[in-house]
Amino acid sequence: MADYSSVKIEELYDIPAFRNLPDEQVRSLAAVMVRRNYAPGQMIFMEGEQAGSLWFVAAGQVKIIKQSLNGRIQGLCLMNRGKCFGSCPLFDMEKNPASAQALNQVTLFVLPDEAFQQLKTRDPQLVKALLHVYSQRLEHLSRVSEVLGSWSVADRINDCLLTYADRTEPQPTIELTHEKLASLVGTVREVVTRHLTHLEKEGVVRNEVGRITLLNPNALLPPCACPDETTTP
Amino acid sequence: MVNEANGSYMMVTADSLSTIQLFKALSPRTHRCLAEKAVLAVYPTGVDLYRQGDPPSGLFALQSGRVKLYRRSKEKCQILALPLPGDCLGAESLPTGGLSPYSATTLTPVKAVTLPADVLQTLLDEHADFQEVFLRLITDRLKQFVTLVHDLAFRDVTSRLATVLLARAELEGRPHEAGGVYFDRLLSQQEYADMVGTAREVVYRTFKKFEDDGLVRLTRDTIYILDLDTLRVIALQEAR
Repeated sequence: MADYSSVKIEELYDIPAFRNLPDEQVRSLAAVMVRRNYAPGQMIFMEGEQAGSLWFVAAGQVKIIKQSLNGRIQGLCLMNRGKCFGSCPLFDMEKNPASAQALNQVTLFVLPDEAFQQLKTRDPQLVKALLHVYSQRLEHLSRVSEVLGSWSVADRINDCLLTYADRTEPQPTIELTHEKLASLVGTVREVVTRHLTHLEKEGVVRNEVGRITLLNPNALLPPCACPDETTTP
Repeated sequence: MVNEANGSYMMVTADSLSTIQLFKALSPRTHRCLAEKAVLAVYPTGVDLYRQGDPPSGLFALQSGRVKLYRRSKEKCQILALPLPGDCLGAESLPTGGLSPYSATTLTPVKAVTLPADVLQTLLDEHADFQEVFLRLITDRLKQFVTLVHDLAFRDVTSRLATVLLARAELEGRPHEAGGVYFDRLLSQQEYADMVGTAREVVYRTFKKFEDDGLVRLTRDTIYILDLDTLRVIALQEAR
């Protein structure tokens, strides 16, 4: 059920892109932003639809997926708390290049495009916040391209496990089914299961239904020397 | 100006700035400021303009020559883009203060208007119109990557190689008297593989198949596109 209640200023300071903004700007953003809640599995927007807003994750996780003409679904990433997605009209893409789906209970802060355009023309500070968001996205998309283009399937599964592990637990865990992991990685469930069985034999992970525990996360490190690789997408 | 990183430097003239499409939207005041602070640098082939994992680089506005943008891990490499003269690159991670998400290496001798990161930051802080221009630069690159991600996710190697060749034919192709268009080969077989996201042998076989089918002709330095229409059909196929 959508909940259109307003957004509090202190909540906006939790979003990294807004952290360095002066009070006044954050107040003007809070005045035009809307809070919306989504149930697990609910679609937030669809690929190919008219694009319209900038979305910030206040709670929960959002899955970004693309679909081929043949109906094959490719998960691109999970957007965690504080991350921003959408925003295509701001870079002249009239249609959403991907779909967004709530993975669990999700709360989003929505900045409608029209409101943003009006704020932006008056305020270079906000453009700076936007540059922050886009720069982060550029880093992410270049990384997705690399993962899709040059890693083996085993590398991709390992990378996925590291990226989506919940590190607040004493041992990092991922609460995703093999099916969901397969869709994020761009392969089929059997391949994920086979690889995870192999990793379990090696003592790298523990496999339970809907839950994978990382016993030795370092053994999963992706084949990349770049030190920024541990950041979430 | 100190000579660093194999580049030799010259003063920037109004002429050299006018070749950069992005800068056309700047006010005369910002333009003057840019001309004062920027240098025109010349780089030989095979020089890294910046490296993946480095602190934010400066900005490079290509006057002439070609550069590849790529990410590398162990022996594997994914080429992300081949900017053309008139395009800008660099400074991708300046807004977040993070590390450069990819590397840029010259494929030919390059002449570029170059702005160091600190100067760029000052321009961004003090000139709203420059901020807009920089936003445009980042979003243009984003759009390019959105397309690349789609191609890598859903198209097979044959279709991806066709897409790469078509894109180059459309942007750089010169008409050929025997029909079709041609452009400089620019990349090695391995680099074409790095663009398409596959192994060199696979790209070699795919090129061979395109040649056998009369779609392209390869010489040492040049690629001739003989049948644009068929290549277009192959490029649009989504196998997965």
